[in-house]
Amino acid sequence: MTAPDVVLRVDDLTVAYGRHRALEHVSFSVRRGELAAVIGPNGAGKSTMFRALSGIVKYSGNVELCGVHCHHRRDRLVCAYIPQRSDIDLDFPITVDQLVLSGRRRFLRLGQRPGPAHRGAARDALARVGLADLGARPLAQLSGGQAQRAFLARALAQEADLILLDEALSGVDQPGVDGMLDLFSQLCANGATMLVATHDLALARRRFTRCIAINRQVIADGAPAEALDDRALEATFGSGSYRSAVA
Amino acid sequence: MGALSWLTEPYHSAFMRHAAMVAVLVGVLAPTVGVWVVLRRLAYLGDAMSHGTLAGVAGAYLIGASITVGALAAGVTMGLLVAVLERQRRVSEDSAIGVVETLMFASGVILVSRNDSIGVDLTHFLFGQIVTATRHDLAVNGLLTLVALLLVGVAFRDLRMTTFDPAHAAQVGIPVGAIGTVLIVLISITVVVSLSTVGLLMSVAMLITPAAAARLVTHQVPTMTVVAVGIGVASALGGLTLSYHFSTPPGPTIAVVTVGWFALAAGWSAIDNRRSGKPRDETVGRAMAASEG
Repeated sequence: MTAPDVVLRVDDLTVAYGRHRALEHVSFSVRRGELAAVIGPNGAGKSTMFRALSGIVKYSGNVELCGVHCHHRRDRLVCAYIPQRSDIDLDFPITVDQLVLSGRRRFLRLGQRPGPAHRGAARDALARVGLADLGARPLAQLSGGQAQRAFLARALAQEADLILLDEALSGVDQPGVDGMLDLFSQLCANGATMLVATHDLALARRRFTRCIAINRQVIADGAPAEALDDRALEATFGSGSYRSAVA
Repeated sequence: MGALSWLTEPYHSAFMRHAAMVAVLVGVLAPTVGVWVVLRRLAYLGDAMSHGTLAGVAGAYLIGASITVGALAAGVTMGLLVAVLERQRRVSEDSAIGVVETLMFASGVILVSRNDSIGVDLTHFLFGQIVTATRHDLAVNGLLTLVALLLVGVAFRDLRMTTFDPAHAAQVGIPVGAIGTVLIVLISITVVVSLSTVGLLMSVAMLITPAAAARLVTHQVPTMTVVAVGIGVASALGGLTLSYHFSTPPGPTIAVVTVGWFALAAGWSAIDNRRSGKPRDETVGRAMAASEG
């Protein structure tokens, strides 16, 4: 039985592309309010895991969100996935307001216009990420960090219990990264739960309280001091190569 | 002759007024649907569907069925076949479209060759014959346009969400596959409505070019749709007027006018980008920035 504050429970998750197994027997759980880094080299399966948790790719094993086994799309309405920037057309003709308001779609029927309550929720979400004044601006005119905040606001407007951020900090300058992590911590302190995929080990050590190191399977899981020790890093990144990753 | 009378003279005759109404219908519908085709980068599918519809038109001729129904059925069949082929991991979307287009267009040509009597009339559908549009054509096209515009209106937000970020759209409960099918039906309706004006082979001109031009000068989908429709209607009426005065075929003339608008939009966009210091192509600029990062 799942503890009441467990937002995500993953049991024996395996994803295969043809004969290639991208993920094997992955199991872990995440409690409400946790901010965890998912660490691994390129090709380790970080994005694949997020896509499986979001129901975008097929998998075997069990995924449970807020105590509900995910069998159908509707079981994942409480999960928000923010893909890598390269997977999104940031030049798409959409304003920040329209983007954030799209998070409210789970509460609307086909063709139903979002009413004042939904617009208010979207405005609140924008204010929480510090973009209250940029609602009317086209997405294409935002900086990389601002765009990530806008997507985060969409997840907040969705009232997602679990937010998955895939390489959300890539391409953002250092002050922007610090600002984003302050924001993540603040949101998690207020009940959000986040998994952030990153290959920045220094950042993971400095700003996260939990790290899940994966390379097709979970190699280590715990506080940075234990999950990112030499033995775990060597197993995750391969002999020697982790030193350059840390540097 | 004054400018005003030069513009109005063609429409003194009833058949030209009739033709203008049919052209305006296409000028409204094709760019409205074309906006989604352009944003989803489905221009090749639009082009292929216009060619593939020949099989439906020719088949309907041979069995004496409605051309409109035949063309619609061919368009939807084509879209579904492409979707089925795409499920094969190693078959890319453009390859799937190419294979299905070949099947449908070749089948159409074979059907035409089986019956000499349909050869002449089919050229009307291939290249358009707007000035012979009947009251019945106008009524059918008007009804189809109304249905298509209603569909776009109801599904507008979901079309935008599934086009921009299909993964998120699915997560918040939008039936992404069903919306994709709606778009295939919309493209099929557009090709059918374009039959009598610019014809099958150039229907892609009205489907793609006004929307592509509007994309260059707008930042939101609703504005893009309004500008695209404006260009579509202006091209339809402008092309028809020019074809009257210069005795050129109406369909191709309308198609050429749409390209003229595209050239104007491209010029405007280039000047605007130079003024604001943006790269010539935002997408290329972003991709370069990401790779450098």
